[in-house]
Amino acid sequence: MSYLEHNLKAVPTGFRKIFYLNWPLIVLLTAVACVGFLMLYSVAGGTLDKWAAPQMKRFGVGMVGMIVVAFVPIWFWRNLSTLAYVVSFLLLVAVEFFGSIGMGAQRWIEIGPLRLQPSELMKIALVMMLAAYYDWLDVSKTSRPLWVAIPAALILAPTFLVLKQPDLGTAILLVMGGGLVMFVAGVSLWYFGTVLAAGVGLIWLTFESRGTSWQLIKDYQFSRIDTFLDPGSDPLGAGYNITQAQIALGSGGWAGRGFMQGTQSRLNFLPEKHTDFIFTTLAEEFGFLGAFSLLALYIGIIAFCLHSALTNKDRFAALVTLGIAGTFFLFFAVNMSMVMGLVPVVGVPLPLVSYGGTAMMILLMAFGLVQSAHVHRPR
Amino acid sequence: MIRTPLRPLARILSARERGENPDAIERENIRLRGEAARDRTRLRAEGRLLVMGVLFLMAFVTVGARMGVLAAVDPQEPQLAESGPAILTQRADILDRSGRVLATNLVTHSLYAQPQMMVDPARVAQELIEIFPDLDGKRLSADLTGKRKFLWIKKKISPEQMQAVHDIGDPGLLFGPREMRLYPNGHLAAHILGGARFDKEGVSSAEVVGVAGVEKAFDTWLRDPANDGAPLTLSIDLTVQAAVEEVLAGGMKLMNAKGATAILMEVGTGEIVAMASLPDFDPNDRPAPLTKGDASDSPLFNRAVQGVYELGSTFKIFAVAQALELGLVNPATMIATQSPMIYGKFRIRDFHNYGAQLSVTDIIVKSSNIGTARIAQMIGADRQRAFLGTLGFLEPTPVELVEAPTGRPLIPAKWSEISAMTIGYGHGLSASPLHLASAYATVANGGRKVAPTLLHGQPHAPGAQVINPDVAAEALKMMRLVVTRGTASFGEVQGYQVAGKTGTADKTKPTGGYYKDKVIATFAAVFPVNAPKYVMVLTLDEPVETSGSEPRRTAGWTAVPVGAEVIRRTAPLLGLRPEMEAAEDMGLTLVRN
Repeated sequence: MSYLEHNLKAVPTGFRKIFYLNWPLIVLLTAVACVGFLMLYSVAGGTLDKWAAPQMKRFGVGMVGMIVVAFVPIWFWRNLSTLAYVVSFLLLVAVEFFGSIGMGAQRWIEIGPLRLQPSELMKIALVMMLAAYYDWLDVSKTSRPLWVAIPAALILAPTFLVLKQPDLGTAILLVMGGGLVMFVAGVSLWYFGTVLAAGVGLIWLTFESRGTSWQLIKDYQFSRIDTFLDPGSDPLGAGYNITQAQIALGSGGWAGRGFMQGTQSRLNFLPEKHTDFIFTTLAEEFGFLGAFSLLALYIGIIAFCLHSALTNKDRFAALVTLGIAGTFFLFFAVNMSMVMGLVPVVGVPLPLVSYGGTAMMILLMAFGLVQSAHVHRPR
Repeated sequence: MIRTPLRPLARILSARERGENPDAIERENIRLRGEAARDRTRLRAEGRLLVMGVLFLMAFVTVGARMGVLAAVDPQEPQLAESGPAILTQRADILDRSGRVLATNLVTHSLYAQPQMMVDPARVAQELIEIFPDLDGKRLSADLTGKRKFLWIKKKISPEQMQAVHDIGDPGLLFGPREMRLYPNGHLAAHILGGARFDKEGVSSAEVVGVAGVEKAFDTWLRDPANDGAPLTLSIDLTVQAAVEEVLAGGMKLMNAKGATAILMEVGTGEIVAMASLPDFDPNDRPAPLTKGDASDSPLFNRAVQGVYELGSTFKIFAVAQALELGLVNPATMIATQSPMIYGKFRIRDFHNYGAQLSVTDIIVKSSNIGTARIAQMIGADRQRAFLGTLGFLEPTPVELVEAPTGRPLIPAKWSEISAMTIGYGHGLSASPLHLASAYATVANGGRKVAPTLLHGQPHAPGAQVINPDVAAEALKMMRLVVTRGTASFGEVQGYQVAGKTGTADKTKPTGGYYKDKVIATFAAVFPVNAPKYVMVLTLDEPVETSGSEPRRTAGWTAVPVGAEVIRRTAPLLGLRPEMEAAEDMGLTLVRN
């Protein structure tokens, strides 16, 4: 039972809700999206048609979707959580059997005219599901093993399917995003400590097993790890993306080469320059200042989400807000770290900036949930 | 666990007494308890949120710091951590004294066939003929369609040919990589470099061995892996060599000679800066040796080293120097030069009749055979033989060419008094132009023996003192006069103070005796005479200068002007600055006027 059902009278109704939206958040989201349009325009060599214009259209649709979602009371969405999770999960299973293959991985499913990436949907559905679960669960049971095993299973089942696609980036985001919700919900730290220790131990064991008869992963996987640790060892092969990206960042310097002046990205040195690696174009053309400004915008979005969650007394609303903010944070933190060589290359787009339809629309809908939580917070 | 009763009975009872609704009390109580629980959870959640916020912040700081680091460092192009296996140069490069490449290696391919693997041998044979028209078509198609398992088609093919063969696309046609020797300068220094050829040929490599010149002389060294590819640096200067060859070729044509050679040597070290022999060849495509006729007519023949000629009057300076050395004469001593001089059945003549007597200086300046013969007579055969021996005229030159031992001087079987007399003016002893250059270098450097060498920068011990420095200076002074007022007057090059001696020797007939109209014309020069640095010897084989009313063959008209042009062209390249004549020489010039 949610707290806020007792205080309905304090919640704005009808079109008045528009005044209660988290407007600074909307401004920040739009600003980040505009950076994206600029970069897509630049990467396409100064044309709107190629990537920027479709992206703008999707952003417009997404914004409308966000406001629609925001107008619907948050408890409606809470009641829908389980359904969303089940549908997303079924779609993931469907992808396994009927999905089309893009870039060597099976991720897409087509429903009528819609081309959908269920894994994108799952990121949000999982956060909703977990938030609803902890809202439903008696607080005192939070850390009991059985009641920890259920959300763990809720996280791991879609993760397993996503890993099979294979899409390591999304799998990591699912685990980390889900873990984040569990952490904030108050699951005992012992569980996290155990999982962390087990993870470190497994990594250690993996490296220990190298070259022995009980080697845990394949040789080529080792070579990928080597490439991450030292991209220079294979600059034309697996280390190519990363090396080129770092050159782009370095050539940008402090103030950048100027809009439309980036050579690394313009001269097609960079693969995936309009999607996962778009950050390098920004860094090259606008330098450290530009890249840091984008980071600051992201920090602003996170900060407003955190503030909204902290001031929200409703458990589901707070958890959903935090979960979405956390997922958003993981998106850009992993992407930027990857581009800058801090973590291995996994396919994670830069949220709201990278070219990609479903990802952006789903993300904006998710922010619609954050807005709804904000608008319908108990007062 | 302490349980508070669901309905706080005491409060409800007291409320009832006051007439209030006990349900409200209960609701209030539930609300309070609920809020307390929520507050606990909230507190915990806020703690967790704080931890999360800190983690986020750390991530932001990390990403931001990394951005800063990347922005600060200069971009660096990626380089392969391990470049591929280094190309193994099986044969060291040959460089000139300034490090310019004279000989290097080039990766090329051979073409071979494995007919058993061919899809369509007949078509392959046909298309190969189109690419290599020099192949024997019938034999090739017979070979390819036959039972042979392996077949060389071409030893070296160009990249274009390779592409064309590749485009045939037959799996039975295969390429074998190999290094070939490349002489990027073509004809330049051909006789010095010699040439190379494939020795043992395998499918994936071929051994390159030297066949002539320094390539053969240093073959073992060039192929020695212990040298780690260190190049062989020759004393040749490519620029000077090119200039010498150009002038020499022009002079040879102008003087209608059938052959020519020129040597430019440092007087102190014996390092050969340039050495040319015409006609020459391209070491990249060495012609086959002549199978009949005189080997010395082949372009492969190195006249400078292998060619032994009677070098004529250029020898006179040795007789005079030895006589000065022995104290038999001084420059002013008058020697009888009445022509003809009769010795037994021999008659010795001069080109012109120089009257009753000439001073020793004038014998050199006017090039009197009779005067020199008399001086040689004074020296005697044994002493002359010993002296020429110390100058190196009795042995082949020690220069680092495989051809050098074949340049063995021809000396009289019996070194009689008449031999001494004729050898005094350069007949009866045949030596190579390189012999002459070395001996002149000895005179020019103050009398120290010189061993000619083609290696640059080798440790050089000063040679033995074979001529007294004063005598050498005296001899140089006489040779300077040969240029200023003697037989080599065309040899003057303004500013470079050339000293020299001409020599015109009738060629010997193979049947014995001398040709009347075939000469070897030689100009041996030293410059600059004040501080001699270089010796230049230029020899023309059978020159005829035809600009006058009758053909002129003497060196003064043929070899000297060409030699002067060589000096004029090369002296600036050698870094010599033109100098004004010293006052002493000015005085002599005035006397002549």
